[in-house]
Amino acid sequence: MTPAFTDADLARRRAASRRLGWLLGAVVLVIYLIGLFIKR
Amino acid sequence: MASCTLETQTAPSAEVNPVAWLLRSLFPPSALLLPGAASAAYNFNFPEPVTPIARETLHIHNEFMLIITVLFVVVFAIMIYSMIKHRKSSGHAPAKFTGPTGALQWFWALIPFAILLFIDFVLMGIPAVQAIINMEDTQTKADMVLKVTGMQWKWQYEYPESGVKFISTLATPRDQIANAEAKGENYLLEVDKPVVLPVGKKVRILLTSTDVIHTWWVPQFGVKRDAIPGFLRETWVLIEKPGIYRGQCAELCGKDHGFMPVVVHAVPEPEYLAWVEAQKAEAKAAAGGADRTWSKDELVAEGKAVYEKVCAACHQPDGKGLPPAFPALAGSKIVSGPLLDMNGKVIKDSHVDRVLHGKAGTAMQAFATSLSDVELAAVITYERNSFGNQAGDMIQPAQIKSLR
Amino acid sequence: MSTATTHTAEHPAGEYHGGLLRWLTTTNHKDIGTMYLTFSLIMFFVGGLMILAVRAELFSPGLQLMQPEFFNQLIGVHALVMIFAALMPAATGFANWMLPLMIGAPDMALPRLNNWGFWLLPPAAILLTLPFTLALFGIGDGALATGWTFYAPLSVQGGMGVDFAILAVHILGISSIMGSINIIVTIFNMRAPGMTMMKLPLFAWGWLITAFLLIATLPVLAGAVTMLLTDRHFGTHFFDAAGGGDPILFQHLFWFFGHPEVYILLLPVWGLMPHVLSTFSRKPTYGYKAQVYSFIAIGLLSVVVWAHHFFTAGMPVPALVYFMFSTMAISLPLAVLFFCWIATMWKGAMTFETPMLFAVGFIVLFGIAGLTGLILADVAADAQYHHSYFVVAHFHYALFAGGIMGVMTGVYYWLPKWTGHMYSEKLGKLHFWLTVVSFNLTFLPQFFLGLAGMPRRIPDYALQFAEFNAISTLGAFVLGFSQLLFAWNIWSCVRGGPKVESRVWEGAEGLEWELPSPPPHHTWEIQPVIK
Ligand code: HEM
Ligand SMILES: [Cu+2]
Ligand SMILES: [Cu+2]
Repeated sequence: MTPAFTDADLARRRAASRRLGWLLGAVVLVIYLIGLFIKR
Repeated sequence: MASCTLETQTAPSAEVNPVAWLLRSLFPPSALLLPGAASAAYNFNFPEPVTPIARETLHIHNEFMLIITVLFVVVFAIMIYSMIKHRKSSGHAPAKFTGPTGALQWFWALIPFAILLFIDFVLMGIPAVQAIINMEDTQTKADMVLKVTGMQWKWQYEYPESGVKFISTLATPRDQIANAEAKGENYLLEVDKPVVLPVGKKVRILLTSTDVIHTWWVPQFGVKRDAIPGFLRETWVLIEKPGIYRGQCAELCGKDHGFMPVVVHAVPEPEYLAWVEAQKAEAKAAAGGADRTWSKDELVAEGKAVYEKVCAACHQPDGKGLPPAFPALAGSKIVSGPLLDMNGKVIKDSHVDRVLHGKAGTAMQAFATSLSDVELAAVITYERNSFGNQAGDMIQPAQIKSLR
Repeated sequence: MSTATTHTAEHPAGEYHGGLLRWLTTTNHKDIGTMYLTFSLIMFFVGGLMILAVRAELFSPGLQLMQPEFFNQLIGVHALVMIFAALMPAATGFANWMLPLMIGAPDMALPRLNNWGFWLLPPAAILLTLPFTLALFGIGDGALATGWTFYAPLSVQGGMGVDFAILAVHILGISSIMGSINIIVTIFNMRAPGMTMMKLPLFAWGWLITAFLLIATLPVLAGAVTMLLTDRHFGTHFFDAAGGGDPILFQHLFWFFGHPEVYILLLPVWGLMPHVLSTFSRKPTYGYKAQVYSFIAIGLLSVVVWAHHFFTAGMPVPALVYFMFSTMAISLPLAVLFFCWIATMWKGAMTFETPMLFAVGFIVLFGIAGLTGLILADVAADAQYHHSYFVVAHFHYALFAGGIMGVMTGVYYWLPKWTGHMYSEKLGKLHFWLTVVSFNLTFLPQFFLGLAGMPRRIPDYALQFAEFNAISTLGAFVLGFSQLLFAWNIWSCVRGGPKVESRVWEGAEGLEWELPSPPPHHTWEIQPVIK
């Protein structure tokens, strides 16, 4: 029985998640701003 | 009006209505709650089509309904067969497959897909495209134009060729809506002044709105098109059969969205032409009225009629309004303010200004475009001298004419 | 942010803050899942009560109970509550509870974000409904009265209820975005070793596509309602023709979000179905890959069909044809899903416990939604259906039978896992049959009302519509009150009941069934073996 994630592994995964999280957040903001300036 | 002889077309049949019967027998108390008149023969499908578009639409609808019913029955027959046969309790041992194996199974897995592809883009797709092309062809061989303007909560109709123009509003008495009076046969589907169109003519219909989006819909025409403020949209009808056709506004447009019906009288052409002439004569007589001097009593009497038709939906019959959206006129500062300035010109934000030019961003529209000089003078005079308001003054149709 | 990483170290198993504070500050995915689900159930009843008032008004012609203004407020807030506060949080609750268990992760990747995501919901729900209460005290003229679609210029003209709703939608949107980000990063980064993307449970795949759709479309909705706000108060003219704007632009923006929203509500349920069907058929899922590709295809198609929601607004012929055919194209991947569901049942060894009953009910009734959707795509026929009760019936087959009954499937399926107790099978079955029968009693007549010409969103109607409306109201009341059985069954199951084993259902497969029922506060501290 191996522990699922070592502490170091878990920390690495969480850091990667945070980076991707901020990136997705930025994408949301960009879409929102583009949406605001849309004119048909 | 000439066209009132056509009532027979839409008279309800006296047949027993199976739905009402079922409901009453399953749930006896409903008999007490349902109005007696609710025994008009019930429809399980579109009402009888009277234009080429409506006929085509009904045809497409029936065909598509058949297709999807077949799909539904076949697919769920297979599922129900499986649910009966492949039960644990009937000792069925579970298979293990997780996808098609072998050419034969792939074939059976892809067949439904191919059938659906065919149904979507050929069986349903081709007639659908044809119908779109017909529906959007508003201009080829159009015989006349009708302009429809939606306003909260009434329709204005205009015949550009003959200059006839009028407003059509709900005629059902408020007491019927409030259940204080028995409901009439055409409850909520009746107007004070129906729009009249000739049969057998292609009518190009232009739509717009003065305030919010409304949708002009007459089910028997197969036509539903939005009336959008600031834009012009179009559609067309060619009515094949004389009759009275009823519809409603179909886009939520505020408080009285449920109370702005459309009623069309379709009549043979000679009758239509006679009607147009009568309208012109009437308009001329009304315009003549603008040149003479009216007494205050005359104005108040005429004004009351206009008020109840045009203004009461928002400001209420008693002038108390529905604050904050619809302000009260009773005791209003604006209404009791001065009528005009020293030079007989409109004062900004005064009573006359409001009625003629409306207030931007609210439901209060500019009535200068939709009411006549007499109507405007009458309704202003009425408001200043009713609901406890005692301005005491009046304004003449001739004055309105010069203020335009 | 750094504290989140040390979460497990901070709170060894079993150590809690006490009472309310525990729930306010919890970062545990199971606690948060429970909160989402509880909130969803409460709001389901709130939205249901609103619409029962509406149905009561529509029982017979004439105005009996309310004025049209209030009626208009009830229908719009009913829809917003059902969509944003009942159905979406239920799906997020499922994701929180089950994703980590299913993919072998100790928790969601960003636990603190998870907590914020949830706690934005209650204030938003309060904002949405507050104008009703304020109006009782003479402040303002009630809630949003434009329907849930906010169409300009009606919404520009509306009272302060519109502003409250705009604010609430922003907050609900931020909450959903936070939830989506968390789900995406959890699925990407927190899978146990050996859990490749193509071994991911279908529920996770369904949610992954949902989360991407939310991220792509919610900002557009937020943008649209922000523009509405500036039109209302800051003198812009985005949607005002007199100032060079265009009211139809609002409809484009709204439905660019609004159509994918339908799939946002349904994809988690489609992800869940194969698990339930395979469990009770005792047979592996049929066509795993086909289902994954269908989810992706539906996700992509859903953002290119939006204008089918306003064919009657007038468009050039090529646009009409394009939006018609692209909409019809969605029926193809959807048909693949139906095929796989039925093929999963085919030659299994089926039993019909409550979750399976709901799953089968879902397939049949959602089938009706899909098939009527196909004909709604036809532009000419849509000119008759659009804005009529036909559409109301159609989307309730999609959202109630497809959405809510799908959620009920999941609740009955996983409730024993969550609580460690078995719910009452007898009550569950009664709940199912009452729901299915009264649902059809409520909404089947509405198809006929629409065909006969009854517009939607009207507080009063012509006499020819009386009978079907009366039937529909009777159905709605039975439907509404049957849901009390559901709440009662959940409540008693949480309180106690026969103990269940880890693998609650005989045929259940997947990591979540290898954990004890209920799972301990912290799970997967030991690496699971992926088959
Ligand atoms: C007890 C169950 C429900 C009943 C009896 C019910 C009934 C109704 C009725 C009668 C309307 C039409 C009002 C009108 O157009 O005049 C309506 C509107 C609506 N409902 Fe429901 N509903 C139920 C559950 C749901 C659920 C679960 C959802 C979604 C998750 C939902 C979403 C909607 C939407 C989007 C509208 C359109 C509102 C609008 O016109 O803006 N409903 N509902
Ligand atoms: Cu309307
Ligand atoms: Cu859609």
